[in-house]
Amino acid sequence: MNNTLFIHDRFAEFYKENASIIKPPSKISQREFGFFTFKKDIVIRHKGFLNVKDLRNYVKQIIPSHAYYSAAYYETPEESMEKKGWLGADLYFDIDADHIPTKCRKIHDTWKCKKCGFQGRGIAPAECPICSGRGFEERKWPCEICLESAKYEAIKLLDFLIDDFGFSHHEIQVSFSGHRGYHIQVESEKIRELDSSARKEIVDYITGTGLNPIYHGLQGTPRGRHVTSGPHMDEPGWRGRIARGTHEFLLSIRKEDLEDLSLKKKLIDEIISRREEILRSWEKEGPWSLIRGAGVETWKKIIGKAIESQSAIIDTVVTTDIHRLIRLPYTLHGKTGWLKTPIPAEKIEEFDPLSSAIAFKRGEATIYVEEAPEFRIGEETFGPYKNIKVELPLAAAIFLLCKDAAKVVD
Amino acid sequence: MTLTREDIAKYPFLADAAEEVRRVNLEIQSLDNPELESIIKRAANRIREALENNPPRVSYRKRQEDIEIPSFPVAIIMAASSGSNYIKRRYALGEAIRAYNLLIEEEREKILEVAKAFNWRIRQVKDIIGNRRFDFALSFIDYLRNTKPFHEERFKLVNKPLIKGDVYLTKREAARLLQEEVRKRIEDKLNMEIRLKLPDRLLNQIENLKRKYAGYKEKRILEEAPKEMIYEAFPPCIRQLLSAAKSGQHISHLGRFTLTSFLLNIGMKIQDIVDIFRSSSDFNERLTRYQIEHIAGSRGSGTKYIPPSCETLKTHGLCPDFEACGNVKHPLASYRRRMRTFKKE
Ligand SMILES: [Zn+2]
Ligand SMILES: [Zn+2]
Repeated sequence: MNNTLFIHDRFAEFYKENASIIKPPSKISQREFGFFTFKKDIVIRHKGFLNVKDLRNYVKQIIPSHAYYSAAYYETPEESMEKKGWLGADLYFDIDADHIPTKCRKIHDTWKCKKCGFQGRGIAPAECPICSGRGFEERKWPCEICLESAKYEAIKLLDFLIDDFGFSHHEIQVSFSGHRGYHIQVESEKIRELDSSARKEIVDYITGTGLNPIYHGLQGTPRGRHVTSGPHMDEPGWRGRIARGTHEFLLSIRKEDLEDLSLKKKLIDEIISRREEILRSWEKEGPWSLIRGAGVETWKKIIGKAIESQSAIIDTVVTTDIHRLIRLPYTLHGKTGWLKTPIPAEKIEEFDPLSSAIAFKRGEATIYVEEAPEFRIGEETFGPYKNIKVELPLAAAIFLLCKDAAKVVD
Repeated sequence: MTLTREDIAKYPFLADAAEEVRRVNLEIQSLDNPELESIIKRAANRIREALENNPPRVSYRKRQEDIEIPSFPVAIIMAASSGSNYIKRRYALGEAIRAYNLLIEEEREKILEVAKAFNWRIRQVKDIIGNRRFDFALSFIDYLRNTKPFHEERFKLVNKPLIKGDVYLTKREAARLLQEEVRKRIEDKLNMEIRLKLPDRLLNQIENLKRKYAGYKEKRILEEAPKEMIYEAFPPCIRQLLSAAKSGQHISHLGRFTLTSFLLNIGMKIQDIVDIFRSSSDFNERLTRYQIEHIAGSRGSGTKYIPPSCETLKTHGLCPDFEACGNVKHPLASYRRRMRTFKKE
């Protein structure tokens, strides 16, 4: 039996029993829906539904490998793009481990040259070192470290949305994406009509793009040779973030970190040797005026590191695109067989995607695994596997099949 | 809100213009009446001031409410029926700057009143953040709506105190944002269709203004593309995208759009652009050509696209070195500037 057919049949069984958990977006009749099916390259777009019953029946009938709805509201969602009549859109954020430079990626992500079959780890090169081919099959693993770092970015983003932008918990929906990240959706009359350029300003705020610390309290002498004051850790907004990020950076500072910022050697020595004093200074005014020779430009470099750590890594294109399609909650993700799973915002820290997003809770399957790193589903850990036939719980088997790391054994 | 006659003279856009005209019994048809001479004169003068001052600025005449107030709606009618976008835009800006200059002299309460007349979600505060004192807290939604055309770094949202959904502003900043709101409101009024038959005397005045000023055409933002193409003058973002495309590396959708629209705008042929993407692992000639033709405007909507601004490229991480371009806001502008220096060498 071929893999695709096997996965299709399991998805079909799942939807037959569980289509009722699919969570419709609000104002369902104003949304556009889109689907990928298991038949290669078949994409269904510009679908509209008047009620949730029709939507669920449709999913049961076509068995999508991926199901999406629009963050946008339209007068006539089934029309072509130009004729839909855009009415507004939810504010949408996508956090994906793809954008986070975790160290484990070099270990668990693999690529394979389509031409000669040569394989490597990490991100695919521009060109195959053996045959100079340029096409690769890439396989990315949702490992626990990657999932944790995505969660950390989501928590930072929530902090921006609640403390800075003033959204309340009931306006914010957090979900696990079903693969390697988190989705955060803000649904509120206030923001519905924001255009793309306003959304871009929100993105810039959250990523710290274009931030100049002199507008957040970094003050110096007229020519900037000495800094006279800077923001404090308990202040709101970016002021506090700059201070806390700077504190964090200096807390674990190593000589090499400062060399990377291309600071003068004398300055580096002074910062390193006076570390204790710098850390104590946060109890009062902070270290801003403490280091002689560290002017506005020097501090801007250090604050650059603070901005990096305090900003949230989001997919900038998703948020500024006011026509974006996003995954439908409680549908299966075709690359994992896991569910896109909504989470109450205040519960995100203890959320475990590898238990909560598992769809297939019964049954086993025997598969032949080509290669897979160790992974966990629920309480159980599997692998690593290499060229081996194993009988696994269905959830684990489907996961490896969806990842194209295994073959069905008849 | 209670507006005094003086307030309406200062901020005439807040009043119902039609009602004002009625108030002085100023029927459009009676504008030929010589008694109204001074009102029409002042109306024409308002427009003239906007056109002659640089930056455009309309004056405020103290204690002349009987002329200041009705001359505003008359000026609107005149500017609107000029049919010249240049005159309309200049006049709207001139009135907006007039309002700004009056607002910064006002008490905070008055600014609050004017802002509320525009439905701003705003409140007065006396907060000190860092060591700066702020006067107002404004919903970030209203803030973004009114700072859209601003390009100064200090007005970027990321450089503002933003607490629980409110942007903290000084009095002067609030007035600056109101200026933008006023400009938009007046432009909207000017773009409404006028279906009145205007008296000859007014039409003459309008003709005079047009003859004298509408000749000033705005400089087009995007000049005609030069004939030759000089690779060395490409800005860093385009160079980076180009070499990625040529070596078949993955380029984001926005990256492809930026590169393609840039090359089209500087006059590269569609076939040559298709060839650039040939190394891509998922290259599909038909699809690539289709996409390029779409961006060139020869398909679909017929709109010819231009590349995103430098700011947008920065947001999406496509600008590798924004200092290299100096004070330029668009990759095409950067290219033209580099072309000029390149040719001099
Ligand atoms: Zn190869
Ligand atoms: Zn990982």
